[in-house]
Amino acid sequence: MRLNRQLIPYLFLAPALLLLIIFNLVPTIATLVESTFILSLRSGERVFAGFANYNRIFNDPVFWKSLQVTIVFSLLVNPIQIFLALCLSILINQKLPGIGVFRSIYLLPIAVSLNVTAIVWGLMLDQNSGMINGILTQWGIARQPFLHSVDQALWSIIVIASWIGVPLWSLFILAGLQNIPPPVLEAAKIDGANSWQSFTKITLPLLRRVLAFVLVADTVANFLMFAPILLLTNGGPQLSTNLIMYETYRRGFLYGDLGASSAMLSVMLVIVFVIIGVELYVLRGQD
Amino acid sequence: MSEQTVARQRAQGDAYAKKNARPFTAYLQPSIVYILLIIGVIIVVVPLMWAAAASFTPNHKVFEYAYPFSWRALFPVDFTMEAYDNLLERGFGRAVGNSFFLAIATVIIGGAANALAGFAFGRFEFRGKQFLFLSVIMLTFMVPVDLTAIPRYILVNNFGWINTWQGLLVPGLANSLVIFLFRQFFAEIPQELIDAARVDGASWLRVLVSIIMPISKPVLVAAGLLMFISQWNSFFWPLLIAPRQEMRVVQVEISLAIGQYGTIWNELLAGSMIAAIVPILLVMPFQRYYVQAITGTGLE
Repeated sequence: MRLNRQLIPYLFLAPALLLLIIFNLVPTIATLVESTFILSLRSGERVFAGFANYNRIFNDPVFWKSLQVTIVFSLLVNPIQIFLALCLSILINQKLPGIGVFRSIYLLPIAVSLNVTAIVWGLMLDQNSGMINGILTQWGIARQPFLHSVDQALWSIIVIASWIGVPLWSLFILAGLQNIPPPVLEAAKIDGANSWQSFTKITLPLLRRVLAFVLVADTVANFLMFAPILLLTNGGPQLSTNLIMYETYRRGFLYGDLGASSAMLSVMLVIVFVIIGVELYVLRGQD
Repeated sequence: MSEQTVARQRAQGDAYAKKNARPFTAYLQPSIVYILLIIGVIIVVVPLMWAAAASFTPNHKVFEYAYPFSWRALFPVDFTMEAYDNLLERGFGRAVGNSFFLAIATVIIGGAANALAGFAFGRFEFRGKQFLFLSVIMLTFMVPVDLTAIPRYILVNNFGWINTWQGLLVPGLANSLVIFLFRQFFAEIPQELIDAARVDGASWLRVLVSIIMPISKPVLVAAGLLMFISQWNSFFWPLLIAPRQEMRVVQVEISLAIGQYGTIWNELLAGSMIAAIVPILLVMPFQRYYVQAITGTGLE
């Protein structure tokens, strides 16, 4: 039996594409639709509500507070992670004896889940007997409350997220560094550029694409930061770590208010599309 | 930049690096580089060493050497298997089994579906190819799965799949990143190889299984690792879809452990170490493939 040649690629595509359409594409559109309904997980009722959900969240100080916390978090965590990832990638790109061992060690956090990272760092940052306080005390510094302090909790989350994020994003930048042909840099050296000049004038511009990708991917990933909040702070103290992804979970699944939750997710979806749109704009017309 | 250009430039670069012992990047003082790298290694390794050591320590001594800090915190000086024994008694083994089952099923079933789709995109010309690739693959690649979890939850609920294996497994099978990896790899296989088999009258499925698959080890390892580890480490979806105890996966179990027996730190850490060791053991021997799998799409 011979199948029609024309049909073969569609048959090959069908399983994966149908799954993606049903479980990824449809829910993406449904997020926007769902936000116009009020649906209760408890009673199972589902009523069209127009913009009522949006009205509710836009008049809710907790939503605005969580958006504000998320923006502050993004403005801190992304530049910190990308700067450190750039430094790390330059270090592990050095051709020195034993560098392979270092590269392997820096892969460890990438293999470990965010949950495990949050649990281990949560105990390391324990306000009474955590190791970080143990080290600080030895240096003569007073114990810090970390996750229990309005001022320090968000920074603690940044540390936890960066423990995975910095090595992860450094891999992308390392791949970009290795794509730069050494003759290009050698030519700069012959022309009298010192290493700082050749880094800023040649390496960085050649890394533009990779850095733009990392910036967007990192921003989106951190925008959805969830597990450490659920496991360690529940958004507190005083909503200081109430990142928006956690707020949607709390509304939807702890309070059963899926309408408000979907409205928030729609707002997030729009923000993600804006971030991606900026990426496409920045990278337009290259290659 | 085409693949060939990149490969050529890499080859030039390697040849150059061999000829010249001090390429550009060695401008930094080696001693400074080593010092910075070692500081980084301490930050990476100390939490893991402490967590591993503490998981083999009696619960009342978990923080003994951490506060005030001594090097003993990094080694199980009061060695005991107590935490692991207790975890097994609580049924943690079930969660480990569930995670393994899900991850392996994802690799096999999802791997087959993604490979077929990657093959179609990499080797065939057909109507709607560009459109399907951009609208389905790129779009689903860009929208993070957790963002659309609630409508997916409602959908799966309508199927009656809450607290079922289908609910846990099926929505995560197709993976646009993996399809992307397969597409890239298959597109570079020489056409003659396929033509020869086609002339002999082999069907496409046969070509795929007996010609393409044997030479596709790198992409199979990379895609397999990626699927296994992302399923093993996935948390948000299993948390929503399968809260029943018999269905819990490792990541959900350790997250609930914080609330349920939050002061039994050695067990919490033992569970975390079990959750961590599986992906670490998989990544370490196949680092190159894993790094390629993660970074593969970012540079296109």
